[in-house]
Amino acid sequence: MFFENIKLAFKSMFSNKLRTFLSLLGIVIGVGSVVAILTLGASASGSITQSLESGGIDTISLTATPTAKNYDTFDEKLGQRLMANVEGIDTVIGINSTRVRIRNGKIIKNNSAYGVSSDYHTVNNYNVAEGQWFTAEDNIQRTQVVVLGASIAESLFPDGGAVGSSISLFRNQGSKSYTVIGVMEKKDASFTASYDDSLYIPYNTFTQRLQNMPYVGSYLIKVSDGYNAVTVSDNISAYLNLLVGSDSFFVFSQANLTEIASSITGTFGTFLAAIAGISLLVGGIGIMNIMLVSVAERTKEIGIRKALGASPKVIKGQFITEAVVLTMVGGVLGIVLGTGISYLVCKLVSWSFSVSISSYVISVGFSTFIGLFFGWYPAKKAARMDPIESLNYE
Amino acid sequence: MDEVIKMEHISRYFVVGDSIVKALDDVSLSVERGEFLGIMGPSGSGKSTMMNLIGCLDTPTDGRILIGGEDTGSLSETELAYIRNRRIGFVFQQFNLLGKLNALDNVITPLLYSGMRVGERRDRAMQALERVGLKDRMKHKPNELSGGQKQRVAIARAIVTQPDIILADEPTGALDTTTGNQIMDLFRSLHQEGNTIVVVTHNDEIGLSCPRLIRIRDGKIEGGEA
Ligand SMILES: Nc1ncnc2c1ncn2[C@@H]1O[C@H](COP(=O)(O)OP(=O)(O)OP(=O)(O)O)[C@@H](O)[C@H]1O
Ligand SMILES: [Mg+2]
Repeated sequence: MFFENIKLAFKSMFSNKLRTFLSLLGIVIGVGSVVAILTLGASASGSITQSLESGGIDTISLTATPTAKNYDTFDEKLGQRLMANVEGIDTVIGINSTRVRIRNGKIIKNNSAYGVSSDYHTVNNYNVAEGQWFTAEDNIQRTQVVVLGASIAESLFPDGGAVGSSISLFRNQGSKSYTVIGVMEKKDASFTASYDDSLYIPYNTFTQRLQNMPYVGSYLIKVSDGYNAVTVSDNISAYLNLLVGSDSFFVFSQANLTEIASSITGTFGTFLAAIAGISLLVGGIGIMNIMLVSVAERTKEIGIRKALGASPKVIKGQFITEAVVLTMVGGVLGIVLGTGISYLVCKLVSWSFSVSISSYVISVGFSTFIGLFFGWYPAKKAARMDPIESLNYE
Repeated sequence: MDEVIKMEHISRYFVVGDSIVKALDDVSLSVERGEFLGIMGPSGSGKSTMMNLIGCLDTPTDGRILIGGEDTGSLSETELAYIRNRRIGFVFQQFNLLGKLNALDNVITPLLYSGMRVGERRDRAMQALERVGLKDRMKHKPNELSGGQKQRVAIARAIVTQPDIILADEPTGALDTTTGNQIMDLFRSLHQEGNTIVVVTHNDEIGLSCPRLIRIRDGKIEGGEA
């Protein structure tokens, strides 16, 4: 009986394909939105976890914007003071940077030069492709060595052979010759550093030979294992607020970005949930409407079936099954739509796409419920029809 | 005496606007198992009304109807459906087949409602189609069948449940004379096999050929109780 009802439901669905499709649209959009919310949610959190694992999320950047009054605070000892006063800091590296003119023979470029410590590249998971990074000894000795980012190395040395060559850096004091000791691998730019276009020299060489700076421009802070970067950066902000006031620095971490990203996904999710809710309601009413039409059109059939011995319960079952089959087909189309859209969105924002099985289960459950709920009244109407009146209906 | 149908002082009134139409007016009738009853009468005399009451599609305004000894007056919709399914087989003037289903599925339909197993209802339906001579048409949809063939499918559908009573309201009304006669021959041979048959007809020849004939006029049986 149950299978006959399902067969009948498909028969009547296919007898008017366009009408069926139009009446299903609400359900399709509603379920599609639910699936998209959950699939995108799963994909987003998957991608966030991935970036947590790939590093970068455990570093905080502190940029000084000191006023004349307090720039003494932003010195090389601030690192130690931070580590003493804020819990969860592993390393603090001072960084200074400036634009410089670089010359190799006839090639001249303007790029950013960074004065950094000898462990800058390890803290950033930034790998040497050729040669080596400078040592702590280079820093103490203020040797005139330079490490080049991948792009700048290529533009200065189109034919290769950078390591071992000399280049000239121009600043106010005139030009000085630096020996290239290393070229780095390519690395995607982060929000705080554009690696490939930069060149790196020892911190002390920078401040004492290239550009005299009264304070440290920025600090790269690595968070200890087991500490949350957002919490640590909040604590650093609190400490510095007391020390220098909130307008003298800017603290930023990749983890903050992740928070922003997930709050955006959250907003987006709420928006989609609203669409889903409205579509499912409208879709449910659409189903009720089409079922009422179907019941009216098939009055004669209902009369015949009653004459053949179908009880009110059986007629009700037939039409409820039809409504549920209808909404489940809508649900399946919605799953396809939602998954497809999520896939495209993931491609677009380069998240790794992960399917949410639970969303499929929820969708099928939802569709069934809507079919039952909105199919109930038309089915009841069919069940209550008078046998003779419906038999004589033309 | 085995009365399959017993109507006691049955009235069926319809209220139309301010007036009351007495479609049946204090009618009593009994039909024994194995009878072949013909019903004739002018249009609007109450023949269909009577068939609907016997078939438990309608309930009387007054009086008692017993089908196979069971009083139908106190039965619920579900119980009436059960009687229609098990005890009654309907044949209509306009065939009333389900247009989306093929001949076999049409004949299977009443068996669905009796909760029979898939294999058995298929076998039974095929037997019924074979009985009416339409085994080779079982995959045909109603619109692929002639009028006579459609009525044969309808008869197969009526007999497939092995009902106590076969009710046929003008079964030849939509057919030409030859085809109509073939359908009547089929009813006669079903009667020979022991079925109880009630046929409404406007055709004198058919009416007079029935072993028992009653005439209805203005909601009453001519000559009183039958
Ligand atoms: N649902 C109804 N509402 C009002 N009047 C009805 C209804 N059904 C039948 N009638 C009336 O009851 C009377 C008997 O109708 P019925 O259909 O039984 O006639 P009949 O003998 O079958 O006629 P015919 O030979 O034309 O089929 C008619 O006057 C008809 O108008
Ligand atoms: Mg009639």
